[in-house]
Amino acid sequence: MTQHRFRGLKLGVLVIPTAAALALTGCSGATNAGSAGGSKEFSLTFATSNTIESPFQKLGEQYMAAHPDVKITFNAQPNDSYDQTVRTQLQAGNASDVIVTSPGSGTGRSILPLVDANFLEPLDDSAKKLVPVGSEALFGKDGKVYGQAAEMTVVGLVTNETAAKASGVSDFPSDFSSLEKQCSSLNSSGKSFFALAGSAAPNTGLMAMSLAASRVYAEDPKWNEKRVGKQTTFADSQGWKDALQAVVKLNEAGCFQKGAAGAGFDAITKGLASGSSLAGFIPAPSWKQLKTAAADSDFAVRALPSEKSSDKGFVYASANYSFSINAASKNKDAAKAFLDWAAEPEQTKAFAEIDGALPVSGLDSYDYASGAYKNVGDLIKDGKYGPLPNSQWPNSAVYDALATGVQGLLTGQKSVDQVLQAMDAAWG
Amino acid sequence: MTATMQSKTEAADAPRRGRRNPGPGRKVRSRGGSLQFGHWWWALPGIALVIAIHYVATGIGGYFAFTNWTGIGSFKVVGLANFEAIFKDPTKLGALLNTLFLAFSSVFISNVAGLFIALGLNRVIKTRYVLRTLFFMPVVLSPLATAYIWKYIFDFDGPINVFLASIGAGDLAKPWLADPQWAIWTVLIVLVWGSTGFAMVIFMAGLAGVPVEIEEAAAIDGANMWQRFWNVTLPAIRPAVAIASTLGIVQGLRVFDPIMALTGGGPAGATETLATQVYKQAFALGNFGGGAALALVLAVIILFFAVIQQRLTRSNPED
Repeated sequence: MTQHRFRGLKLGVLVIPTAAALALTGCSGATNAGSAGGSKEFSLTFATSNTIESPFQKLGEQYMAAHPDVKITFNAQPNDSYDQTVRTQLQAGNASDVIVTSPGSGTGRSILPLVDANFLEPLDDSAKKLVPVGSEALFGKDGKVYGQAAEMTVVGLVTNETAAKASGVSDFPSDFSSLEKQCSSLNSSGKSFFALAGSAAPNTGLMAMSLAASRVYAEDPKWNEKRVGKQTTFADSQGWKDALQAVVKLNEAGCFQKGAAGAGFDAITKGLASGSSLAGFIPAPSWKQLKTAAADSDFAVRALPSEKSSDKGFVYASANYSFSINAASKNKDAAKAFLDWAAEPEQTKAFAEIDGALPVSGLDSYDYASGAYKNVGDLIKDGKYGPLPNSQWPNSAVYDALATGVQGLLTGQKSVDQVLQAMDAAWG
Repeated sequence: MTATMQSKTEAADAPRRGRRNPGPGRKVRSRGGSLQFGHWWWALPGIALVIAIHYVATGIGGYFAFTNWTGIGSFKVVGLANFEAIFKDPTKLGALLNTLFLAFSSVFISNVAGLFIALGLNRVIKTRYVLRTLFFMPVVLSPLATAYIWKYIFDFDGPINVFLASIGAGDLAKPWLADPQWAIWTVLIVLVWGSTGFAMVIFMAGLAGVPVEIEEAAAIDGANMWQRFWNVTLPAIRPAVAIASTLGIVQGLRVFDPIMALTGGGPAGATETLATQVYKQAFALGNFGGGAALALVLAVIILFFAVIQQRLTRSNPED
């Protein structure tokens, strides 16, 4: 009897994994059959960094509402690990059908390196029409486009206008010396002009690039191309030296909140929402999220004051997010149908409104006067804008060297020349 | 009766022993068709998984250290270029120094503190069980979660600076985690806090094996407390010292999550270690080849110090 029981056990040892393997095979077969047959289904991956519903998910829900036969599976990923997650999934062949990417080559989610690795599907004319003028090289190669711009993102300053007026800053500084004076007077009243997340590389890097807007790219919008052609370097650029020297000046003038070098992103949210700081170096769509946290305050998007008021103004405005289709997708038709729908003017406008950004199409007729973008409307209408510089840099190490270096400038660990040399070394 | 029981026990144990000296009754049992536990091939799935997950995966990772792979797409074999880049880059050398400083400092401080706590809580104090639990608790808690609590404590608006301001020492307040001089020490404090309890438990296990009689005999012979500790207790717990220091160094060399949570390697690389650099290079900056090369360097360093440590603290056979 004992032997029978053990024989049964032995049989069970063999049968259970076999059955499990068969069951798993059956499951996977059923899934494949389902996805192959149901071409109206597709998945969408995007990054999230807070609990507010992502505009990408809202757009997808609107698409499903307009197309009841379509089912979208949303794969939200944490923003800080998004690049690596997407790359790993693409490499493994199990990435979502539609992926939110960034134009250019400066980040892990950037289009160009993913195109080089044959991970993205070329898109059609509706995507080509949405590529901002002058940004063609960031969206693809050899005349093909691999990303469909989702919105125009302005990057400059987001200011709490209500707090500024309450602090006696009725006229926003028009040049750098008046900005430094405002910083000193605010500092003496326990407030700061800027809220800075000094320990967060994305924020310190964004600040340095904002300072470089009027010092480098206003004078020479093609500076990045010259750097690619080795006609110049960061260390040889007077504009970049001035931009980083401006970081030191702002720090010495007390423009940042106390303890800024060790602060995280929460310091910006708290500072701007509470009014203890007046402005932050954050992407413009953040004004809308800040408004939800501080409904009594008015927020606006502004360009950082130039060195002199007579200097050329310049602001970064570019399509920083784009939709791309996974080349290994089995639901390309459904994914392309979604992108075609999202490229329609009604949808680009609706998406921009959801996110608090500018629409990627119809900028000429956009009403700047009544919204958060009234202070940068003239710059954009006059064409005094360009893409974020790092979208044209060859790898993310250059931006990391800038962002880490700025923290070193704040703590006194590094000099301007050291930071610029590190950026050149990272460029390769 | 005792003899009968003994022979029964031996008979029951016989099949479990080696095959070199088979007992007379065992052949019959093994060929009789009854179930035998312990066939070598039963371990095959486990062995295959260990080889595949640990050794093959690690070997492939090691191979990428000699390539320029970015984490996606194709790659080229670049020989030792990644290693040359590591030893030419001051950031990486700084990370190496930080790694060694944090590992050895945390091991030394936490072992000394753990030993004293273990000695104090070994026998005398009534509340020793509660205190043991309290001292061991940091080991049980998630390093990442506790690191975020420490981050709040060291924050510019955190309790330390509030306390300093309340006693009129507000001038001493600083962003501790972003101060180039203090950041590495704050990390060290957190590491020591998290590892002292572990050393304490190992030393307590060692102290449990030290006979009270020997200590009493030494006391009767006139040895004072320090002499009893140095000449009797410490030699007796030498294996515990070896284990605690070896595990501590290995753990200290590969420490990652508390640093990422506290400083992220900042300010400007002041608390960067090899482990955080491996992560940044491989996963944040898309330099998978460079990250794999750093990981290989880190593995060699850990192996080197683990072997040295084992040799230095190896018990003398004559003992």
